[in-house]
Amino acid sequence: MKKIPLFLVLLGLAGCAGVQPWERDVLARPEMSLDSAPLDAAIDDHIYFSKEASSGGRGFGGGGCGCN
Amino acid sequence: MNASCAATLTRDTDHWVGRFVAMASPCEVLIDNGPSSLAQQVLNAVAAEAWRIERRFSRYRIDSAVHNINENAGCETVVDDECANLLDFAATLTRLSDGAFDITSGVLRKAWTFDGGEHVPSQLQLDALLESVGWHKVEWRRPILKLQRGMQIDLGGIGKEYAVDAAALLAERIAPGLSCLINFGGDVAVRNARQGGKQWRVGIENCTRMGAADRVVQLTRGALATSGDSRRFVFRGGHRYSHILDARTGWPVRNAPHSITVAADTCTQAGTITTLAMLQGENAEQMLRASGMRYWMQ
Amino acid sequence: MKDNENLSAALAAATCALLGSAVTTPVAAQEEGSGSGWSFDSTLLYYGESDDRVRDISAAVAALRDFGDERKLSATLTADTLTGASASGAIALNRPQTFTSPSGRAVYTTAAGDVPLDDTFLDTRFALNASWTQPLARLYTFSAGVGFSTEYDYTHLGANLALARDFNKRNTTLSAGVAWSQDDVDPVGGRPLPLSQMLDVGNNGNKRGGGESKDVLDLLLGFTQVLNRTTVLRVNYSYSDSSGYLNDPYKLLSVVDPLTGDTLARAPIGQGPDGVYLFESRPDKRTKQSLYAEVKHAFGTPVMHLAYRYMTDDWGIDSNTLEVRLRWPLGAGYIEPQLRYYTQSAADFYRASLVSGAALPRYASADFRLGDFDATTIGIKYGHGTASGNEWSIRAEYYQQNGTVPREQIIGNQANREQYPDLSAIIVQFGYRFSL
Repeated sequence: MKKIPLFLVLLGLAGCAGVQPWERDVLARPEMSLDSAPLDAAIDDHIYFSKEASSGGRGFGGGGCGCN
Repeated sequence: MNASCAATLTRDTDHWVGRFVAMASPCEVLIDNGPSSLAQQVLNAVAAEAWRIERRFSRYRIDSAVHNINENAGCETVVDDECANLLDFAATLTRLSDGAFDITSGVLRKAWTFDGGEHVPSQLQLDALLESVGWHKVEWRRPILKLQRGMQIDLGGIGKEYAVDAAALLAERIAPGLSCLINFGGDVAVRNARQGGKQWRVGIENCTRMGAADRVVQLTRGALATSGDSRRFVFRGGHRYSHILDARTGWPVRNAPHSITVAADTCTQAGTITTLAMLQGENAEQMLRASGMRYWMQ
Repeated sequence: MKDNENLSAALAAATCALLGSAVTTPVAAQEEGSGSGWSFDSTLLYYGESDDRVRDISAAVAALRDFGDERKLSATLTADTLTGASASGAIALNRPQTFTSPSGRAVYTTAAGDVPLDDTFLDTRFALNASWTQPLARLYTFSAGVGFSTEYDYTHLGANLALARDFNKRNTTLSAGVAWSQDDVDPVGGRPLPLSQMLDVGNNGNKRGGGESKDVLDLLLGFTQVLNRTTVLRVNYSYSDSSGYLNDPYKLLSVVDPLTGDTLARAPIGQGPDGVYLFESRPDKRTKQSLYAEVKHAFGTPVMHLAYRYMTDDWGIDSNTLEVRLRWPLGAGYIEPQLRYYTQSAADFYRASLVSGAALPRYASADFRLGDFDATTIGIKYGHGTASGNEWSIRAEYYQQNGTVPREQIIGNQANREQYPDLSAIIVQFGYRFSL
């Protein structure tokens, strides 16, 4: 199965990567946050949910509708 | 003698970053967009000022005024204007804190090791040392200072913030209107706002959760200073004693906040409020609120 | 302790004496995202498909209250007004076609050569989502949310919980979450029996009232990792299980002649359909799994966002999504071009049409959203920050969907006509973010 080796890769990644607390200057920028535009993301998710067969991935669907 | 007498200038996205080491801290100067020659000039002046203040007032430096004063305890010494200003300021702080803050309390260091352990000195030990503590025992009539034998002064509690403000004033004299952020080991000051409405963003490290989300403060102008216990404290009888000692008792403050950051007009004011508030121990927040200044407490 | 009101004044005077200058620059320091702790994000969106299909205008407001100590409350209110129609699943013909409307009380027609669309409708939807986040212990964050939405034939109610734990000086975060939802469908005119034939006006023999429900369970496992000073990665695995009424009650399939590929004709009694059309049928269970990975990287000031998602389900649909955005500073604001590429394979039971005489499959749907297609989105966003720290933005996108019908499903004359109802849409969005 594809998932198990990926999990090990991710664990390995966690061990050797990272920054010290005082090196978070760039990461602290608002546009570097993974959820920097939640409303845009919600709108996109809703549009694609109603026109395609896939949904979510980034987080929870956020709510059903009669559009699919 | 000083291996780290070097200041380096590098370019970041939209500003200059000058780095050097002074007063046993990493120091940096962030300079708003402008010609590199001007940035270099500002950096050189700020670094030189930091090293000058360190040389003059560090008790570790045998060529410093403070060392000279301590070596001559029991005799009269004449001090220059800058030293006199610092002594006057320290005297005011002693008065404002009812004696809890005192630049003669440095000798108490001999009794305490703040390694996170449980060791506390005996009252006998402390009483012996307290004989040599107390600004009221000092004869200070500007410009003549006379310490009693065995006494020592330590300007560590006010030196860094003073250096930040002095450096900021110097940077402004050299490059009026240019926004320069002075940061000596976490004590920060900026006198002019950046161009184009941009902000200097300063992170306040969250101490309780190591590496957790920093608060980010947008500093347009003004200063920030932080007092904190980091990992220097003693645990005894269920209480945490930070490394800040109350000069009246010789004991550290009990259950003071882990760290206090204050925003004020100058770094000296900010640093003073954090120190005085820490000396309040459990009642720190009361004083911080009464000061009217913006603060962050953990 | 000296009177505290005089402390600041005494300190200011003492500092003045120390620094030897009148310190006249008052401090201006503002914690990012603080103030009253309330921040708002609002948006107005227009979505319009070509060929008079669906048009949507929607407005949303999101409020976030940051209590400062890692506790947050957020609520989003959305209102949508949808008009127009989508392809119904029936195929285009060289002659006009007549269908009974969902209410069963009227008919509507499609011109010759046009892809049949559902009867035009007007639908208004309201949705409310709220969530709460708080630290649970030193390295743990807990969040819970609820969601509710309603439109004239559909209501949704959902809840979710998630727990995250930080490791490695907060460079690594593992999270797990679960979400439940229950949706109720009450189609206009009643729910048609699957694979039943569309009947004449006034004949509701194949319709059942009372509504139907659909339950969804979602599980999410997440991994976030700071790779270096300028890069952060997120990988999510999701599992989703839906059961209940999964059909689209308005979608049809045409029953066609095995040689000509044209829809079988029918003579209505009074008003009714002039062809043989069957309502679709989907399984009452669907299991989906997806793997999603996202990277944000700063190249100095510009920031790039790259995301990929793979989805597979037990309906035979596999999809791949690739999305890239690049945010460039521009003056006092930024410009962010974006590109998205999506491809999906058809569901096992996807049928362009049903062949008369062949055995009726258990499940069949001609819904273009379950077909084999590629979709591309190209867009650009411009944002501008104001002096007070607020931001307005405008975004424009073009979305194009191109599908194909498997060769073995193209019968006779269908080869000469538009086989797949390709879709193209324009999206324009205005946004305004502000804090109090």
